[in-house]
Amino acid sequence: MSSIGTGYDLSVSTYSPDGRLFQVEYAGKAVEAAGVAIGLRCSDGVVLGVERILHSKLLVKGANRRIQSLDDSIGLASAGLLADGVHLADRGRDEVWNFRETYNAPIPTQILADRLSMYVQAYTAYSSVRPFGVSSLVAGVDKTGPRLFCIEPSGVFYGYRGYAVGKGAVLARTELEKAVGKETEEGGVALTCREGVLEVARIIHLVHDDNKDKEFELEMTWISPESNMKHAVVPADLLAEADAKGKAALEEGMEED
Amino acid sequence: MAVQFDGGVVIGADSRTTTGAYIANRVTDKLTHIHDRIYCCRSGSAADTQAVADAVHQHCQVYTAVYGGPPPVATVAAMFEKLCYENKDQLTAGIIVAGWDEEGGGVFNIPVGGGIFQQPWAIGGSGSTYVYGYCDATYKEGWNEAETVEFVRNTLALAMSRDGSSGGTIRMCVITKDKVERHFVPGNKLPRFWEGKEVLAQAPKPSIAVA
Amino acid sequence: MASKGPVEGPSIGFDFSNYARNQYLGQTMGGLPKATSTGTTIVGMKFGGGDSGEEEGIVLGADTRATAGSIVADKNCEKIHYLTPNMRCCGAGTAADTEFVTNLISSNLELHALSQGKPARVVTAMTMLKQYLFRYQGHVGAYLVLGGVDSTGAHLFAVQAHGSTDKLPYMTLGSGSLAAMAMFESSFKQNMKREEAIALVARAIRAGVFNDLGSGSNVDVAVITKAGTEMLRNYEMPNERGVKSRNYKFRRGTTAWTKEDVRNLLVSEEVAVTAGAGKLQDTTEASQGMEVDA
Repeated sequence: MSSIGTGYDLSVSTYSPDGRLFQVEYAGKAVEAAGVAIGLRCSDGVVLGVERILHSKLLVKGANRRIQSLDDSIGLASAGLLADGVHLADRGRDEVWNFRETYNAPIPTQILADRLSMYVQAYTAYSSVRPFGVSSLVAGVDKTGPRLFCIEPSGVFYGYRGYAVGKGAVLARTELEKAVGKETEEGGVALTCREGVLEVARIIHLVHDDNKDKEFELEMTWISPESNMKHAVVPADLLAEADAKGKAALEEGMEED
Repeated sequence: MAVQFDGGVVIGADSRTTTGAYIANRVTDKLTHIHDRIYCCRSGSAADTQAVADAVHQHCQVYTAVYGGPPPVATVAAMFEKLCYENKDQLTAGIIVAGWDEEGGGVFNIPVGGGIFQQPWAIGGSGSTYVYGYCDATYKEGWNEAETVEFVRNTLALAMSRDGSSGGTIRMCVITKDKVERHFVPGNKLPRFWEGKEVLAQAPKPSIAVA
Repeated sequence: MASKGPVEGPSIGFDFSNYARNQYLGQTMGGLPKATSTGTTIVGMKFGGGDSGEEEGIVLGADTRATAGSIVADKNCEKIHYLTPNMRCCGAGTAADTEFVTNLISSNLELHALSQGKPARVVTAMTMLKQYLFRYQGHVGAYLVLGGVDSTGAHLFAVQAHGSTDKLPYMTLGSGSLAAMAMFESSFKQNMKREEAIALVARAIRAGVFNDLGSGSNVDVAVITKAGTEMLRNYEMPNERGVKSRNYKFRRGTTAWTKEDVRNLLVSEEVAVTAGAGKLQDTTEASQGMEVDA
């Protein structure tokens, strides 16, 4: 980071001479340092998964969840500063309520992602605030089908078939490309949610660095026919199976190496 | 009045506007365009309902521009309800919102003072009290378009014959996925089937003119 | 009942007992006296188009009486207000409100035309009027017949004070609207010719002028076509003050007198200046002072 100390990174409302906002880029660093979060759009729904790194042995099992529900059929997983993710989800629930109040209809996933991105963007334009330290995956199923979006700290958002943010995201995305690639092949079909859960769990185990990182818990939700198209946690038995298979696949891979 | 059928709705209204005892307009069009496939029937104060309909019409144009598609009927009804409820102290507006969206036909009644009620059929205005019984006894689920138009025409004619504040002609509109088709029944071609054999024998057969 | 007809018993229905007398008077006075109408009548109608062979247009009409309670405040006022070159607006209700609301909208329409680079449409004027009037919940008492021709054709609207509007091929407003409407309901036809339309509008206004106490005096007409607007101010003047058949001035000497007394109203006085102490001194001092100055 050659920019450090040049003075252009002191305020989010100051551009560097080559047109960058360093504070926003630093926020991106906060995301890269956090546990991975993965979203996968399947044929019949969407799957979200995160690795929840346990920084203390004293933590209660299952506490400090990183995936939250915004609406019946919309979930949000964030990678970065957990508190920022919680705040953004709060704002998301306000938008959900506001849309329903105004239009007597559930908010489409894309509209919610758009509104949240506007909110995030506002934190890149005032010197009195800092940008959001999270990249958030918004997953939902509406009448347009299963949708997945990622909102970056800069306020941009893109729609994806599969995406990963956080530590090891680059490797995770390569793996996702392989999984999603099957969909685009001749006569190929996208994974089902059930297959998606296994795939996401496998990738999380793959990108987790056992040597550097502490233990982690696998946290997964989905919006699938099995959850009645509602955003819900993946059933314990399936989660356990995915966790085990992910771990097994990792060991298998190691043996090959 | 508005009635749902499989694949669309039929809406209808008389054409009388009064100021006291004077008929200010005998060929009023109370079936008001809100969006491509959504109309409303207005009753109460003409000024109030026109103002509310104009406001919702504008909301819908903004909605379409922002969200890239037509608003669902339920959404438009919610817009009407919000305006009617929040300004209930200053409005006399009874509105029926009806139209077609991806869910099919939809009818929403928004009575004076607000509130929103989705119904297979809805009637409103001064003449409606006279024909609740007729509608309850006659309406059946599963009618096709022609049967529904017939029901609307007969109901309106009955209401117009009993209510002094209603009258003139019948305007109707069929809204489906493929069309918005207007029907017009002139004042001398209104159905009179309830008037008895002696009169009926002389009465001209009612027919619908398609505009 | 005080008056009894020639037939015994209570009088019922019309009383024709003065009919013969009136006929007699009519003969001796050189024709029956013209009826002088002892509110407002404004009308508008569409004409032309269809197979009339004429371009479509609008005729507006108005009487010219302004009243303040039972007093005729103005016998020849103008009720057809200017909005734009291709739009006019007849006003009934509170005169001040119709005047100011049309002036305001006229000026806003001019600004609108300037900003959009094209003439404003009639629906635009109608929308501006209805939204303004709705905001004032009927307290701005303007009842208007709005007519004009724009790029989309000829349009006629009624705008009520509360903000409701109607679109019709013909319409009447004001206290004389019922009388005027009777003319339209009996004689209006679609696609009438220009001259027929003007005649019908004038007849409708006359119906108001003669049958409604609130309306009176003259008939104003405005004809709007694509070519422009023709204001026919005082198109008809059915209530001009006639020449009096007799002179009501009293002849000289009509009043008898018994005594004549002519007095001189001029008073002449002579003022004698007495040699008061101060007066002479003052004079001296003044003259001395003047000398010093000089």
